[in-house]
Amino acid sequence: MNPDLGFSRRHFLQSTSSGFGYLAFSALSTWAADEPAISASPLAPKQPHFAPRAKRVIFLCMKGAPSHVDTFDYKPQLIKDNGKDSGRGRGGPALLLASPWKFSQHGRSGLYISELFPEVAKHADDLCLINSMHTDLPNHPQAFVQMHTGTAQFIRPSLGAWALYGLGTQNQNLPGFITMDPPPNNGGARNYGSAFLPAIYQGTKIGSGFPGQFGRRGGGGAEETISNIKNERFTTEAQRTQLDFVQTLNRAKMQQDGYNPQVEGVIESYELAFRMQNIAPQVLDISKETEATKKLYGIGDQTTDAFGKQCLHARRMIEAGVRFVEIAQGNWDQHRNLRADLEKNCNEIDKPIAGLLADLKSRGLLKDTLVIWGGEFGRTPHAQGGDGRDHNNTGFSMWMAGGGVKGGTKIGATDEYGYEAIDNKVHIHDWHATVLALLGLDHEKLTYRYAGRDFRLTDVSGRVVKEMFS
Amino acid sequence: MKLLAPSLLYIAAFSTLTAADVNKLTDEQLNFFERKIRPVLADTCYECHAATAKKVKGGLLLDSKESALRGGDNGPAVVPGKLEESLIIRAIKWADKDMEMPPKKKLSDAVIADFEAWIKMGAPDPRGGSVEGAASASAKWKKKEINIEEGRKHWAYQLPVKPAPPAVKNIDWPKSDIDKLVLSKLEEKNLRPVRDAEKRDLIRRATFDLTGLPPTPDEVKAFLADSSTDSFANAVDGLLASDHFGEHWGRHWLDVARYAESAGKDVNVLYPFAWRYRDWVIEAFNKGLPYNEFIKQQIAGDLMPFKDVLDQSKKIVATGFLAIGSKPLNERNPKQFQLEVTDEQIDTLSQAFLATTVACARCHDHKFDPIPQKDYYALAGILMSSETLYGTNRAVQNNHPSDLIDLGKESGMSPGFEGINASERAALDQRLTTLNTTRTEKTREAFAARSAGKETNLLQLLALREQLGNSEAKVNRYEKNGDPRILTMGVYDRKYPVNSAIYSRGDATQPGETVPRGFVQVVLKDAPKITAKGSGRMELAQWLSAEQNPLTARVMTNRIWRWLFGRGIVSSMDNFGTTGEKPVNPELLDYLAVRFMENGWSVKKMIREIMLSRTYQLASVHAPTNFLLDPENTLNWRMNSKPLPAESLRDAMLFVSGKLDPYPPDGSVVCRAGEGREGMIKMFQVVSQPQYYRSAYLPIVRDQLPETLSLFDFADASLVTGDRESTNVPSQGLYLMNNAFVQKLSDDMARRVYESGKDNAERVTNAYQLAYGRPATQNDQAASRAFFSNYLLDANKAKAKKGPDISIYAWSAFCQALMASAEFRYLN
Repeated sequence: MNPDLGFSRRHFLQSTSSGFGYLAFSALSTWAADEPAISASPLAPKQPHFAPRAKRVIFLCMKGAPSHVDTFDYKPQLIKDNGKDSGRGRGGPALLLASPWKFSQHGRSGLYISELFPEVAKHADDLCLINSMHTDLPNHPQAFVQMHTGTAQFIRPSLGAWALYGLGTQNQNLPGFITMDPPPNNGGARNYGSAFLPAIYQGTKIGSGFPGQFGRRGGGGAEETISNIKNERFTTEAQRTQLDFVQTLNRAKMQQDGYNPQVEGVIESYELAFRMQNIAPQVLDISKETEATKKLYGIGDQTTDAFGKQCLHARRMIEAGVRFVEIAQGNWDQHRNLRADLEKNCNEIDKPIAGLLADLKSRGLLKDTLVIWGGEFGRTPHAQGGDGRDHNNTGFSMWMAGGGVKGGTKIGATDEYGYEAIDNKVHIHDWHATVLALLGLDHEKLTYRYAGRDFRLTDVSGRVVKEMFS
Repeated sequence: MKLLAPSLLYIAAFSTLTAADVNKLTDEQLNFFERKIRPVLADTCYECHAATAKKVKGGLLLDSKESALRGGDNGPAVVPGKLEESLIIRAIKWADKDMEMPPKKKLSDAVIADFEAWIKMGAPDPRGGSVEGAASASAKWKKKEINIEEGRKHWAYQLPVKPAPPAVKNIDWPKSDIDKLVLSKLEEKNLRPVRDAEKRDLIRRATFDLTGLPPTPDEVKAFLADSSTDSFANAVDGLLASDHFGEHWGRHWLDVARYAESAGKDVNVLYPFAWRYRDWVIEAFNKGLPYNEFIKQQIAGDLMPFKDVLDQSKKIVATGFLAIGSKPLNERNPKQFQLEVTDEQIDTLSQAFLATTVACARCHDHKFDPIPQKDYYALAGILMSSETLYGTNRAVQNNHPSDLIDLGKESGMSPGFEGINASERAALDQRLTTLNTTRTEKTREAFAARSAGKETNLLQLLALREQLGNSEAKVNRYEKNGDPRILTMGVYDRKYPVNSAIYSRGDATQPGETVPRGFVQVVLKDAPKITAKGSGRMELAQWLSAEQNPLTARVMTNRIWRWLFGRGIVSSMDNFGTTGEKPVNPELLDYLAVRFMENGWSVKKMIREIMLSRTYQLASVHAPTNFLLDPENTLNWRMNSKPLPAESLRDAMLFVSGKLDPYPPDGSVVCRAGEGREGMIKMFQVVSQPQYYRSAYLPIVRDQLPETLSLFDFADASLVTGDRESTNVPSQGLYLMNNAFVQKLSDDMARRVYESGKDNAERVTNAYQLAYGRPATQNDQAASRAFFSNYLLDANKAKAKKGPDISIYAWSAFCQALMASAEFRYLN
């Protein structure tokens, strides 16, 4: 045995944080460290089941169900039959509504994308459009929870929690699963909860996100904070002095107890917390990003500023080693004012998303970062009130990019109008199975024993849609 | 078994052809089958419907003629000549939503046409050789009949028998029968109990364990000074008699009862009156309600005899146990909603009282325990024959508001919210009337528009419905004169009891055979008979609380043990089934269960007996030899070092800072927040306001728990939780270091400590006394001095840099450090 190996990374972290060396310790340099760091920690990086195509995820979650027939699902027949009775209304006749926006082909792949996403369209060859998504129920709360946990019927862990449980995280100085401005309704914390998985796998919520929730738009972007991250009272030195005293007390107790892993855990978690205080604000601080980068994300422009900041935060987080980042944005529930509101929603996110994809690519991160865009379901091809669309769970679209996904591809299809997925249907379970597979996890093997049986994200379903792989 | 590739299966099946079979078919028929049918079957069906499949689905095999004709769970797959009756055709045409085959991708129209042609020509099928294999595979996969008698052999279904106190080698050690039972297991494994706890640690442990609060320095002093032999017994008696006992132990039960004040799930509206159940639980523990009575009242309190209106009201409140669960309020199908509510009730009561996962038998027979699906629906019938009343009002996403129970002023109970005057009440009435009129008009307009072929304004109608719901709920809170009504959640019997159908896969659209109401057979041979009249809840209550029920006493004594030692004798607290853990000391568990019943199901007596054992009074010190043999201390060679539960940590901080309000608040802030969406918005503000009463009374809104609870492993308020997690995560450290409320309490403690002494050494000693129940050692004094001098250096440095003057916070920083330390957060 090589005695040098006895000096573990944990010792290193401890020694750097117990003097003033901690100030120099920057998390930003640790993202590439994929080797097991703190093996005792449940968050330590774990071996996936097979070679992963993606190492981390950014999920752009569009709350309220964006219209697929106006964005990523081109329906020429719907344009032709504009104004015909669909025979499907739930309060009088429901007339088919052609998308008010034009679709055209983009990139070498020639994917059809609507003019609502001119910037994202420039990345057409990186996108894998899934046009055949479907989910069980056309109600926001249930579908939103199902999208996150696989089921609305039972209390189950969320996708991010499963990913973290399966893979651990790369930076022990930051939470492994961060969700920015999650909506408090539609299942609230359930959507980033850990349910029966150990609590350490639950998502860390950043930003309040709440005030906008009952207003026109959800999502924040301006003030992204981790709860209690900042000490409003002491200087860093004074706080370190205070913490040193706490740790003196803790070590005294440990000495007295002889051996006590719980106290050891307390000591470690305080050091992590202390480092997080220092590092998380650095990660969340975008002031040092270049003007060019900020412009790329649309930061500074009133329309795109909020979402642009969220996207830039997401990039900085995954760059710092966070495993799973989710950004919630909404509201996309256009029962009315479709023309004005959908356009507004898209304007807010188009440039930031394109900026995110471009930035990830130029930093060499896109190849192993999975970017997902989508909402809980889609909308009806027929109109509601002349300028709106109703809920549609039987067919809708999502897209994925980067992280081992085959770019410039279109998976599956809905019927001629966009009501139902008919070809290569992708259920939420299938999508979950595929996302896990991209991360190197077998959805049938990623289990947790609870109440006497092994549970999975995909329950007893799920099909890995291999056509999405590059 | 390894899964064979479909192509291999194809070859295997082909090779089993015999000449005799083939002879019966014409060449065309044979050709048609081999070219058009068999390849499709082999490629797309055999993966799940062949004897060689890893897992045969739906009981259906398609790899032999006979098995295809016989069919699966749903009936024959192939009926020669009859398209409509051949389920295989329905399946491949995706005619039934629940039977779309192959599930991943529909076959092409041409292939479907081939199958139709094949059925029409009489489904000629040359296969035969594999019938035998198929039959045996089919038998293997055929529904296994659950053998109840066989199932009763599992340890948990046998009645507990009080063991004779075992002989032990170290005869001086045991103080009680419990000790003998523990020691005999330790000796078997060559383990030796560690030393007894120091008196100082013991009184701190006992006070936290019984009341969730630390002892005052005076209480510690008094206990140390009392050298009588029954000093600890007296201390325990005093603590058991404290009203804080019920607040702490009631909260334990509320974890099990998945107590919360909102619907959770997708439409998380408030339950403004859930707190009555919380208060009932706390009182039940304080008053020493026998556990069997405690069960009965929660299941059927409304059906029990009562002394007076107050007694009756309390018993009704107790049934809130069945009503406070999470509910999918926006489920559209009312029958499905009822099935979900019933399922939640069955899941909760079976885990809470019996540590049995009966809900696993909802969709099919229990896979591991001897519980047929029939038993689940027998139980479901009882609950469906009762109406669950939980309040909430009609709103856009709430399709299932329900009534509440009005206990009436004569109940003498507190309403939990302020009344209004008569004219305000009249104004509410007026608004309701106006809204009703508007809605009638708008609905009429909508119908008119619809019949004229014009579009209707659905959104306006929905908004009106929401306003109406809100308004109705407000009106219903008050008497005509504006006095607050005395409202509660709970359960009532329906007028006519019903028996439930067995719902295939738990789906409301698939009812099957109806089963009479009854119980889980394996638990009790002679279950009470359900009378034709009532719902059967009274009988259910008796069944759950019967002395002959082998689970009830064991499950509760195991919980009591867990709440005192940090680990159950059966470590899977809520699952005593075959997939749960076995008891590490079955004799001890049986002893406790029988003693519990002998002592009239008294929780306090059980706790007292356990705490007076030497086992409870062991130190929590490490012992390397023991540790190697039993690292998790499953056999109790020492006391576990236990983390303070979230509530105790907060209460202790309030306590040492002198800020704890020891009196229970009236009702809950949830009740006063208001109804519907409005109430929910109000709650977001309320949750962040500081409260000074005990944590047991903090608002428990599902998925919106107060940070001080959720950060420290509070139970998931939607799930039965007999065993909380214990995590060490940085967010806890951030909270204790940086949270403004924690800093405020540190200031308060600092003021107290500073005023308590003449000099710093005395103040430091008093601070340690207050926080840890012990004086500061010399090392502590030295460490404290070092802290203060370093802190002042930092403060001066800050001042020199024109920063804030933080020197005034020195004592606060010191006190905060004491509260943040492991010694404060863990019990020896």
